Amino acid sequence: MRCVTLAMACLLTLGASLPREARGQDSGRIQLDTFSLANGLEVILAPDHSTQVVAVNVWYNVGSRNEQPGRTGFAHLFEHMMFQGSANVPKGGHMSMVEQAGGRMNGSTQDDRTNYWEVLPSNRYNMGLWLEADRMRSLAITQANFENQRETVKEERRLRIDNQPYTGAFLKGVTAPFDAKSCFAYGHELIGSMTDLNAAKTEDVKAFFDLYYTPNNATLTVVGDFDPAEARRLIEQYFSVIPRGKDAPAVACDARFNAGEQRETVTDDKATLPALLRIFLVPEYRNKDHAALELLATILGGGESSRMNRAIAREAKAALATQVGLDVTGPHRGPSTFAALAVANQGVSTDSLDGLISKEIAKVVADGVTDAELTKAKNQRRSSAIFGRQQALNTAESIQSANMFLGSANAVNTDIERYMKVTKEDIKRVAQQYLRRDNSVVILIKPREGPRP
Amino acid sequence: MNRTSSISRIICASASLVACAVAGAQVPTKAPAPGPVKPAAIPPFQEATLPNGLRMLLVESKRQPVLTLAVVVPAGDAFDPAGKEGLATMLADVLTKGAGKRSADQVSSDIEGVGGSIFAGAGVDFLSLRASVLAENAPLAFELMADAVARPTFAAKEVELSRTQALSGLQLEESQPSALASRFFAAQLFGAHPYGKRPTPSTVRSLTVDDLKAFQKERLVPHGALLVVAGDIPFGRARTLAQRYFGSWKGAAPANVTRAQPPVRTKTDILLVHRPGSVQSNITVGNLTYAPDSPSYYALTVADRVLGGGSDGRLFKTLREQKSWTYGAYSSAGRNHDIGTFEATAEVRNAVTDSALTELLRLERSMGVTAVGSEELDAAKGGLVGRLPLQLETAQGVAEQVARYTMLGLPKDFIRTLRPRLAAISAEQVQQAAKAYMRADQSLVVVVGDGAQIYEKLAKIAPTRIVNAQGDAMSPSDLTPKVTTLPVDLTKLAERADSFAVLVQGNPMGFQTTSLKKTAAGYSYRNAMVIGPIMQQTVETTFGNDLAPQATKADGKMQGQNVAVDVTYANGRAKGTGVSPSATGMKTVTIDTTVAPGVLDDNMVSALVPGLRWAPNARFSVNAFDASEGTMKQLTMSVSGTESVTVPAGTFPVYRVDLAGQAQPMTFFVTTAAPYRIVKMLMVGTPVEFVLVK
Repeated sequence: MRCVTLAMACLLTLGASLPREARGQDSGRIQLDTFSLANGLEVILAPDHSTQVVAVNVWYNVGSRNEQPGRTGFAHLFEHMMFQGSANVPKGGHMSMVEQAGGRMNGSTQDDRTNYWEVLPSNRYNMGLWLEADRMRSLAITQANFENQRETVKEERRLRIDNQPYTGAFLKGVTAPFDAKSCFAYGHELIGSMTDLNAAKTEDVKAFFDLYYTPNNATLTVVGDFDPAEARRLIEQYFSVIPRGKDAPAVACDARFNAGEQRETVTDDKATLPALLRIFLVPEYRNKDHAALELLATILGGGESSRMNRAIAREAKAALATQVGLDVTGPHRGPSTFAALAVANQGVSTDSLDGLISKEIAKVVADGVTDAELTKAKNQRRSSAIFGRQQALNTAESIQSANMFLGSANAVNTDIERYMKVTKEDIKRVAQQYLRRDNSVVILIKPREGPRP
Repeated sequence: MNRTSSISRIICASASLVACAVAGAQVPTKAPAPGPVKPAAIPPFQEATLPNGLRMLLVESKRQPVLTLAVVVPAGDAFDPAGKEGLATMLADVLTKGAGKRSADQVSSDIEGVGGSIFAGAGVDFLSLRASVLAENAPLAFELMADAVARPTFAAKEVELSRTQALSGLQLEESQPSALASRFFAAQLFGAHPYGKRPTPSTVRSLTVDDLKAFQKERLVPHGALLVVAGDIPFGRARTLAQRYFGSWKGAAPANVTRAQPPVRTKTDILLVHRPGSVQSNITVGNLTYAPDSPSYYALTVADRVLGGGSDGRLFKTLREQKSWTYGAYSSAGRNHDIGTFEATAEVRNAVTDSALTELLRLERSMGVTAVGSEELDAAKGGLVGRLPLQLETAQGVAEQVARYTMLGLPKDFIRTLRPRLAAISAEQVQQAAKAYMRADQSLVVVVGDGAQIYEKLAKIAPTRIVNAQGDAMSPSDLTPKVTTLPVDLTKLAERADSFAVLVQGNPMGFQTTSLKKTAAGYSYRNAMVIGPIMQQTVETTFGNDLAPQATKADGKMQGQNVAVDVTYANGRAKGTGVSPSATGMKTVTIDTTVAPGVLDDNMVSALVPGLRWAPNARFSVNAFDASEGTMKQLTMSVSGTESVTVPAGTFPVYRVDLAGQAQPMTFFVTTAAPYRIVKMLMVGTPVEFVLVK
């Protein structure tokens, strides 16, 4: 939205396009100061002196989508490696330094990006910058650290995925609409293969770091109570010495919409009840249809009062639980997935579960959604965006997300409009266009029968 | 590196001198020093008192168009009338479950429909409510909050739901050592002062809608209550909305209550809460401190952080990292309206209970003897000074902090000056505060654990009294387990097969079948169960006509993990293996242990139910061996009521029986007439129930 020169006209059109219930103040414009260092590090500063908190937030433009066949699992492994110490920070030092400053910190991996952050009282944000620079410049990639973290990752996989019913099938399921040949990026699992990790050598890990953990492949966002001139000076001092790296290779993903329904049956050792997962192929995050798809996912499967939970779990008593989600392993710059999961109740077949899910989808395709449902979904989207803006970390994440997925950090100020403009017709249209049988993969998850191996 | 310096030279050539000097500077090898600590950035409060006496504080902030309302009333648990303990908590629970013109469902759908949230709860001193909304929905938030506090409807259904949850909570507490410890610690520390009172199943059962109404009328009054509004709303509008919705809230100021003084301790003494079969001991050490406005607050807060404030604390570093006696050891200094407490806790293995207690007391004592070093002091103060801004980041955080400190009677600038005051604390002040308020030699010690294993060692540390989980005094000789023989009438133990449906929140989610068969050498009891994706298990236990267990075999999956038991009983011993889930993953135990005559296998207990003589107030105790863990347990079945239940198999007059002594407490319902048949079972504190189908 460019509302500078024609402010009045803009406001009028914007006002007219908003539903009455959702009209109100917005979250306020975030003033962004964006620049790049000579080594390519992109920096976005968003000062806000209304609190005494600063979020230091680094996004590396690397996720599982960048992994190559035979070399999967590295993106997630790095999330662990980054806390193993660097030239001036001992192992475990990162966490205790932040704790002793009264702050919080963490990191996470998605398909398209890996993030690292610290939330600190404003008189200590300089330490956050220094900690991030130290590991970007001099991460301790030693044989011992690597082997140790490889074991930790395996243990994490064992506890959080292999030992949990449905999780493994679900994570594998969202890769099913992609052909690993034409789209390896999204056609393999976020967590990666243990065989690949086992075969990896320290040199491979070092090479991955050198290629992706470079200043020219990262965006540093600082939000909160700091002086931008001082921040810039510190950033230049800490980060400028880090050499620019090679450009990371581009990622290609070619996926075919409406390629015909695929069916797969997966045996889940850990499951005791069958489940059904139906996954539709949908377009990238910045696509015009994304907002409508997201509101549709909320209406169909977001919470207790959602359509699927009411119809399939509460009324038909056919499912123990239902869930609908868009971009479940993070937003994509390429094609993505819209997933519906239902775990069957005792004695309910996956076929009848599939029938019930299809019936709910068919209802939206034929009749759309109600005004009340759409208003509630929009209200929830809007209020969560505004409540989120109270916290520096959330704001930093939104800025990074706009920058990566909408192509401009400033889009953080206008993204909510996409959701507020969605009409009932849009919802019906995207349901018709994407939630088609021939545009989906259905995965029947069966518990293992008979004696265990 | 060459390439980088040449690039920075090019930039330098075209940029200002200042930037050049910086780009050429060395990267420091140490983290930069902290900037100065500023007072909290919290705007001055705007204040009004409504004609009905309600005090309103506004902390206005235009940062984001959001708003949090908090209503705090001096009507916490400490105001529960004698014999009605649990009343304030139940009142808080039902206030938002129907008020004014809305039912419970309407309250939740109205607030969720605008993307907001509402909450109510009772603490020891105060009953609090909170709602967060976008600023444009301010009228809804004022209306919901005012209705909840002034016009609750007390729908019978919601009151009963709250009672059921409270009772399960209490029953669950009995199986949790930390909850037991907290209950006994409060009772001993505060004596007759109301902070020592806790609800019991009988007080919770006695609560009526009339009690709730009377308490609400007497205690939930605008005089003495506080409304905090934090966020984006001008003062005039906040006052108008407050008057519009809270204006008709009326009630006379309640009479002042005089409270008994808590006892004074002159030496350290131990209360051992005997929990047979416990493999760990839960240690709590502590003493009373000061009124909330004490100037010692700042120094003791720092001392507490040094001693037990987290993974950097001395307790954690010593008891966990150095000695490996525990997963965690912490301390806390809490403030209350009347008087605060200092407490240190650790959960340790039986064998090291005395060493851990001695070490904990030594570490506590040393805080008052030796001054802390500057590095440790700075780290502790840094964490405390630093976390406050994070707590005040949202309107909700501001409202909560302002409400709490104001109700504790602290000065208006308390939050603003907290950071500099903490930052100014010296090592000497820490030592003085620790000497005064970390009283290792005038402490109350509560240990929850297996007295048979730990009593004698504890008694060497300080005078030790023993009670059971119900609080009845015990003598050391009572600790040696006496095997009680379950009075089973074998003629009533006929072959049988029962099928149950497993319901989760009322939805069918699995089944259980149980069958008892005669064998050549006694009986075989088989129990097969599937609960959704949570568990699937078959257990078969054989036992003789003399009720001596012969073998237990189990096979199944729990939360996706394989569980198995294979134990044989012979010649006074149990031998075999058990694989079961634990907090840290699957645990395999090799079992080879003595089992005294008269001890049952714990799977036998439900098999024997028809052979017992059930009656109102019947109570059976039995020593049972848990073959999956290899531990001995004392199980108690006590009839706690007579009622009628309807299950798919029919409607039956039943005794309600509480089964205590195992990790997951249960309640089951057995028919009042022979053959005593179990028709329903509840897993306490979970939404899972078993109902007899046929």
